[in-house]
This record gives sequence, structure tokens and C-alpha cells, in this order.
Amino acid sequence: MDEWQYKPAQDLGTAGTERLRSVQRESGLVGLISRNLWWWWVRGVLKLTERIEVIGREHLPASAPFVIVANHSSHLDVMVLATALPLRLRNCVIPLAAGDTFFETPVIAAFAAGMMNALPLWRKNCGHHAIDTLRRRLVAEPCGYILFPEGTRSRTGQMSTFRHGIGMLIAANSVPVIPCHLQGTFDALPPGSKWPRSSRIVMRIGAARQFENLPNERTGWESIAQTLEQDVRALPPKE
Amino acid sequence: MNAASKQRLWGWNHAVEAPLVRGFLMGLGVLLVTVPLAICLLQMTGKLDPQRRRELWARYLSWLVFIPLMVGPILLGAAVTIAAIALMSLVCYREFARATGMFRQPAISALVVLGILALTFAVADNWYGFFVAITPLMIVVIAAVAICSDQPKGYIQRVALGVFAFLLFGVCFGHLAYFANDTNFRPMLVWLILCVEFNDVFAYIVGKTLGRKKLAPNTSPNKTIAGAVGALVLTTLLAASLGAIVFAGTAVSGPLKLLILGVIVSVAGQLGDLTLSSIKRDLGIKDWAATFPGHGGLLDRFNSLLFAAPAVFHYVGYLQGVGLNQASRIITGG
Repeated sequence: MDEWQYKPAQDLGTAGTERLRSVQRESGLVGLISRNLWWWWVRGVLKLTERIEVIGREHLPASAPFVIVANHSSHLDVMVLATALPLRLRNCVIPLAAGDTFFETPVIAAFAAGMMNALPLWRKNCGHHAIDTLRRRLVAEPCGYILFPEGTRSRTGQMSTFRHGIGMLIAANSVPVIPCHLQGTFDALPPGSKWPRSSRIVMRIGAARQFENLPNERTGWESIAQTLEQDVRALPPKE
Repeated sequence: MNAASKQRLWGWNHAVEAPLVRGFLMGLGVLLVTVPLAICLLQMTGKLDPQRRRELWARYLSWLVFIPLMVGPILLGAAVTIAAIALMSLVCYREFARATGMFRQPAISALVVLGILALTFAVADNWYGFFVAITPLMIVVIAAVAICSDQPKGYIQRVALGVFAFLLFGVCFGHLAYFANDTNFRPMLVWLILCVEFNDVFAYIVGKTLGRKKLAPNTSPNKTIAGAVGALVLTTLLAASLGAIVFAGTAVSGPLKLLILGVIVSVAGQLGDLTLSSIKRDLGIKDWAATFPGHGGLLDRFNSLLFAAPAVFHYVGYLQGVGLNQASRIITGG
């Protein structure tokens, strides 16, 4: 007879803000329910206020693990991306959010963790330990990350260069990365404005890529960031 | 719902009518003042090494938090008591689920939670038939729903852990809540909690002073045979003498019956503690959770009540019944 396999929560023994900020945080029934309620609410609001078109759904994977990368110009981006996913993928989605924006104060951290299941990425000093944990977790859980490799929201609406941090998560790894392009979210809710305006949003999903042949070191990371940036830039039709 | 049920459920103004409850609250007040004084005295006379001192203070402070949490709802009335025990069951299940990995099975977790809520409803309704029916039905439902994922690998473990958790935190704690259907629930619950807590204290003190041989070193390295026997003797005496006040004039009175009751409290209390320790060792964790910084989780606190509640419930139930003198099915009618 095989022995039973117990797998305690990875964040067992942490509590409060420490738990909210842990990249090992795992949620159970309460998290699942609150997340689903949140995404249903967001979906409803977006349906009422924005006109959203999603192109290329056939490129979405059948199951986790996966990574979605996109251009970033608005807080709406993650909402549009997550609500465009079918339920089976949305339930295992983890947005990677800037630690210094979303995990500094306990209230916002509780919201980011409880409603969105977000994990923090500290932009200034994201240790290798955290990246390693995220790398392992992606495959072991498995889950799907939503990531904006530009590192911050564009203040002009123009896409900027992808940073190579994305490569550290997926180099030498067969996890599919899906490039997405979001158009119109900047007009709907640009950085600095509080309430979204009604506008037309187009989300384009590109074909998935895998980077198992690229080494998990700087050259590989940079090459991954460049490739994905080109993929995302190539998605919108040329004017 | 008749007047007697309403008074039982919400009658906080009758909180201190029973002599045991009054005595308990007075004793608590005295302890609250004397214990820190005693520790300070020991400290000044230099009879305490710093490590032991810290340990004593930590224990004192943890009591300061937990005693109001445990006794407050009982004083407020049966409705609050039942709600508080339901909340405790849910938090304990959460700790168990996170420690075993059951929380990754949302369907089974949801069933355990529903089962706990159903038991709470049966208790609030004073509908013993439904309370009994839920257990076999939940086993059926958990086993059936676990089929739906069509993943036979790990099926036994998923179902067994779900049923085990439901039995421990739903059914066992449900018996504690069911006491709230008795007219005499305040003194009975205060008595039970008091005896179970003192059972731990006796085991600790006797074990520290006389203990040599370990009771079960692999399960719980701090427990000694002397501690277990000392707790058995002292708790039996305490439970029987306080029980004489609580159960005066009922079918449970009489020295032999009370002494048996005391033995049940002590043995069941220690077994609950050891059971939960065994589960922790099997999982390879030290504390159930970090719900209370420095004191572990709720389960680390309430482990001794887990088995004592159903054991005492059915002993008292066999001799005289629990909640029989109160109207039944107060919500559903019938």
C-alpha cells in the first residue's frame, strides 16, 4: 500500500501581513468563493460600461500551467485579461502585481490577495529566492500567471520595452507563454484617473510560445523578453 | 417558540443564576489577580529561571485571551453559545484542511463546511433526530461527490480525510454545542471546560514535578506517565466534586456516577490531546496554524475538548438525557 501524501499549505505558520505578502500563499474555499464573486462582479461592470472584443480565444491553453503576458497601460488590464478567461483557467490564475503598489498597506494587500489572488513581485529587490519559488509553483501547483513585463503602466499609452524578469520565470521551461495585446484600456482608465470611461477595448490573444531551449541565464532571459515583446507588438493590425 | 426556549437562547440576564457559574466567575477574578502576583513573588525570591518565567507568563496571557472567548458566549445565552461553537468548528476545520492539504479539494471542503452548518442548525433547532441523521448522510454525500472528479488516484485519502474532519470538528464539537439545549447548559458547559482545562494544567504540573518516564515520546515528548496519572486522579476528584453542584438533584448525582464522570472527562480529554498530537506528528508540523501568534492555532487550544464533549454528552444523556426538558424542533416545528 502506498503511503498517503500530505501536503500542508506552503504558507502554514504565517499570519497577517506576512501571509498576504508571501509568494507561497495558498488559498482555500474562502479564497475561491471571494475570488469568483469578485470576478463575476468585475465581468458584470465591464459588460455594462465597456465594449470588449476578444480575438484569438483558440490560442488559450486547455489547462494550467501557463503564463499570460501583455502590454500594460491601465488598472483595467488585469480585469479584462482575467475575465476573458474561461472559468477553469480563471480559477487557477495568479496575477503577479507590483509589491510596492499592491502589498505595502495591509488593506490593499488583503484586497489584492483575497479578491484577485495576486502575488507580489518586488520591483526594486526581487530576490532570486522569490523568483525560484514562483518558478517552482507555476509547474507544481499548477497555476497560470498574468504578468506585465514592461514593469509599470505606460503613462502615454505607448508600449515600452519588456524587461527580462519575465525570462527568469520561464526560461528552460516548457510552460506555454501566451502573448496578449490590449487596446483601449488606456482610453478607458489611464493612470491617474479614478473612474473608467466607456470605450471600446480589443484584446488580441496570440499563439503560445515555449522557451525550454533557452538557458536560464541572462542571455536566455533577454532573448525571451525580446521575442515576447515582438509577439505582442505584432498582434494589433498595422495602420 | 415558547418562553422557556427564548430565555435559554437569549436570556443573558440569567447568566449568573447557577451557583457554579457564580463561583467560577469569582474564582476567575481571584486568579486573575493572584497568579501574576505569585509569579512576581517567585521571581523576586529567585526561584524561577528566566525560561520557566517566560513560559508561565505566556500561559497566563493566553488564558487571559481564551477564557473570555470560551466563557463569554456561554454567559450570553444558548444562541450565542451555539454560534460560537459553530465558528470554532469552522476555524478548526480550516486549520486541519490547511495542514493536511484538504483545502486543495474545494468540493469536499465545501461539503464539510455544509455539514458543520447543518449540524449547527440541528442543534439550534433541538432536533436530535436530524442531528444523528446528518453523520451517515454526510459520509454518503462526501463519498459520492468525491467520485465526480473521476480521479480514483487518492480517492480513499480524500474521502477519508473529509469524513475524519467532519467527524472531529463537526460531530464531536456538535455534541459540545448540543449541551446548549439543556436548561442547565451554563453550569454544565462551564464545568466541562473548567475540568478539561484543569486536566491539562494538572498533567503539566504533576509531569513537571514528578514525571520521569515519558508517556508517548514519539507522539508528544513533553507528556509523562506521572502527569497522565496525576491528571486522572486530580481531574476525577475536581470533576466529581464540582459535578456534585452542577448535577445536584439529577440522575447523574451520587458519588459513584460522579467519579465515573470524572474519569471520562480526564481520559477523553487526554486522548483528544494525544490524538491531535499524533495527527500533527504524522503531518510533520509543530503548530496547527499561526492564528494566535505564539500560541499556535485554535486546535492547539481546543484539542482536549474534542473527545470529552461527546463522551460526557452520551454519559449524561444515558443517565438523564440532555435537553429533554426543553421544547424540541423550535425552528422547524413538527
